[in-house]
Amino acid sequence: MIKKSITLLTTICVMYTFAQENQSISIFDQFSKKLSASYESNSQWYLNDSYVDNPNNPNQIGEERLRSTNFLRLDYQFSEKFSAGLQLESYTPENLLNMSNLYDKDLGIATYYLRYKTKRLDLTLGYFYEQFGSGLIFRAWEDRNLGINNALRGGRIKYALNDDITITTIYGNQRKGFELSDGCVFGVDSQINISNIFKVIPKGSLVFGFSYVGKKEKYDAIQNESSIDIPELINAYSARINLTNGNFYSDIEYILKSKDLRLKTSSGIEFSEQETFEGSALLWTAGYSQKGFGLSYNFRRLENMRFFSERVFSDPLTNATNQLSVNYLPALNKQHDYTLANIYLYQTQPGLTVQNYDPIVKAGEIGHFIDLFYNIKKGSFLGGKYGTKLNINMSYWASLETQYNDSNSTGPITGDGLTYESDFFNFKNKLFSDINIEIRKKWNKKLSSIFTYINSFYDKSYLELPIYDEVRYWIGVAESTYKFGGGKSFRLELQHLSTNDDARNWMGGTAEYFFNSKFGIYLNDSYNYETSNIPADTKVHFYNIGGSYAKGASRVALNYGRQRGGLLCVGGVCRQVSPNTGLTLNFTTTF
Amino acid sequence: MNKKITTFFLFLGILTFGQTKLPNVTLKTLVGQSVTTKSIAENNDLLIISLWATWCVPCKNELDAIAEVYEDWISETGVAYYAVSIDDARTSNRIKPMVNGKDWEFEILLDQNSDLKRAFGVSTVPFTAIIKKGEIVYNHVGYSPGFEDELYEQLRKHSK
Repeated sequence: MIKKSITLLTTICVMYTFAQENQSISIFDQFSKKLSASYESNSQWYLNDSYVDNPNNPNQIGEERLRSTNFLRLDYQFSEKFSAGLQLESYTPENLLNMSNLYDKDLGIATYYLRYKTKRLDLTLGYFYEQFGSGLIFRAWEDRNLGINNALRGGRIKYALNDDITITTIYGNQRKGFELSDGCVFGVDSQINISNIFKVIPKGSLVFGFSYVGKKEKYDAIQNESSIDIPELINAYSARINLTNGNFYSDIEYILKSKDLRLKTSSGIEFSEQETFEGSALLWTAGYSQKGFGLSYNFRRLENMRFFSERVFSDPLTNATNQLSVNYLPALNKQHDYTLANIYLYQTQPGLTVQNYDPIVKAGEIGHFIDLFYNIKKGSFLGGKYGTKLNINMSYWASLETQYNDSNSTGPITGDGLTYESDFFNFKNKLFSDINIEIRKKWNKKLSSIFTYINSFYDKSYLELPIYDEVRYWIGVAESTYKFGGGKSFRLELQHLSTNDDARNWMGGTAEYFFNSKFGIYLNDSYNYETSNIPADTKVHFYNIGGSYAKGASRVALNYGRQRGGLLCVGGVCRQVSPNTGLTLNFTTTF
Repeated sequence: MNKKITTFFLFLGILTFGQTKLPNVTLKTLVGQSVTTKSIAENNDLLIISLWATWCVPCKNELDAIAEVYEDWISETGVAYYAVSIDDARTSNRIKPMVNGKDWEFEILLDQNSDLKRAFGVSTVPFTAIIKKGEIVYNHVGYSPGFEDELYEQLRKHSK
């Protein structure tokens, strides 16, 4: 690996030396025009802090206090049709706190590809990212902030028969840190735009999509007397229809996943070898919008939809960062930026997990989400001189109602032969609900404000651990930005979370000042000011101070602060994180 | 290990050169049709592509601010503004109602699996690039209030 890097480096050095000579500048110029590169570095230095280093704290930071992760991506466009690229990654001496330890090399080639692309044909060999439909059945993607990269290594062929029909086939093994998954994933997706063929919808489009995704993985049974055939091949099928007509749209998608073993929780990673279970997902979104008004509705039901290229990775406790996931199951509710609004955050319940002792069958979720945007016109009484922007959204999520049959249980210990039935349309087991109102108001050329109100219910007992209770709370946030001109601006944000449950009341705030459009500093704090049963949060300041400088496509940010431990949910993925205090340096650039 | 890190930084030093061509990536329109960045650049001599997301507050602030002056920009520079959303399935259903609800006049495109974001090599949004005759002549990551003025200056410089 190092040899390879050195060879590559030498090649570039040679090119560079050439470029020193006048005649060759155009060669180098051409080379650099065809090359695009980007670099990202995230380093953290964990410092001593009596709060964090408290021996009662279950998640300790460990030996390595200074850690750095680095990504260098290079893409080279050989010609109009051919391109190639690679990504180098470095985790030194190990991955950042709370990230997956599968990424364990000081320096390694993480992904590489060779691609041939014409108007109709798109061929990729090596690592690739891809998504079928909304990703419910298949999504290979990268998110460095979440520590996810589940690119497939193998091949992909995308072929457009004409402007209306596209077929994609994939085959490969998923990235597992710097190695590959044991299970292989393959599939085909077709997307057919009917509207141009039949001209049925004059002002919109009608698109059909069909997908198949298969996963093949060997399974070594623990028990010899297994009475069933344990499937090595798991098949998933999906169909979707996207309809747009004028201001209206409606998308519907259904997935069926073939029978697979179920995970037994609280006994290490083990599977029940007596029964298999089918999975399914239904997603419907519809909306209407016109100038100044928008409305959307989302419904989703998930049952037993955990889908991983290696079975053992389906355990959420040992795979909190969702490595090796085949599909993408984000939580469908409003994503918040305010710190206090991220304390009780709903996370998707795709099922299927069964508690081993006194069975609780967590088979999946059902719920919906409504989003409304309205722009109160300029000049009206409420709109004022600049108009007022209003956003209201509500969500409601429940666990699936199930009845189980556990005839071969031994006392309170769940038997391997447990089976269950679920209601298709039953919203009664509420897990989470929220209503959010956001008003954006520009007062004059210099001053603008955002007001937010959130009222929410969170079943901490079901969503985190049975030792907790339900939490009902509301949050108010007011923020204002004042522009001084010349890029100088000041932003102040105040937040308050009110509840008599869990860790009780919080207050928080942020002050941010930009000296110009490139350089800014900020300070924020969240403080839980009441005594409660959650000692880890009681009367502790979670503060952050930092600054950032951006020039062109480069940005450097330095931050010092204390992070809360517990469940951290970003971008639809939640995981348990260790509290830490320290210095963070981020640097990104492209050239 | 130190050697490896040095190697890493050597790469950086060597590679900081030159303008880059706009990468050719296939995006989707709001009605599900495919469109390539190459064809967009062929049809617009001067163009701004910005990456944004419905969950990104600075992105929305940037687009709100530019929406107010966009008509003037078009008449003065002839620029076409493409706001490319990187929302994935978690939030992509909010795009249409948000764009209409906010009354934005930009061309909206979708980059659902971050192909363009990766091709640009950026890890955070907003990211704004001015593209002149198919080449990236200016880019900027992040948004702070008032950045639209600087963007306008750059736009005027390149519209000549």
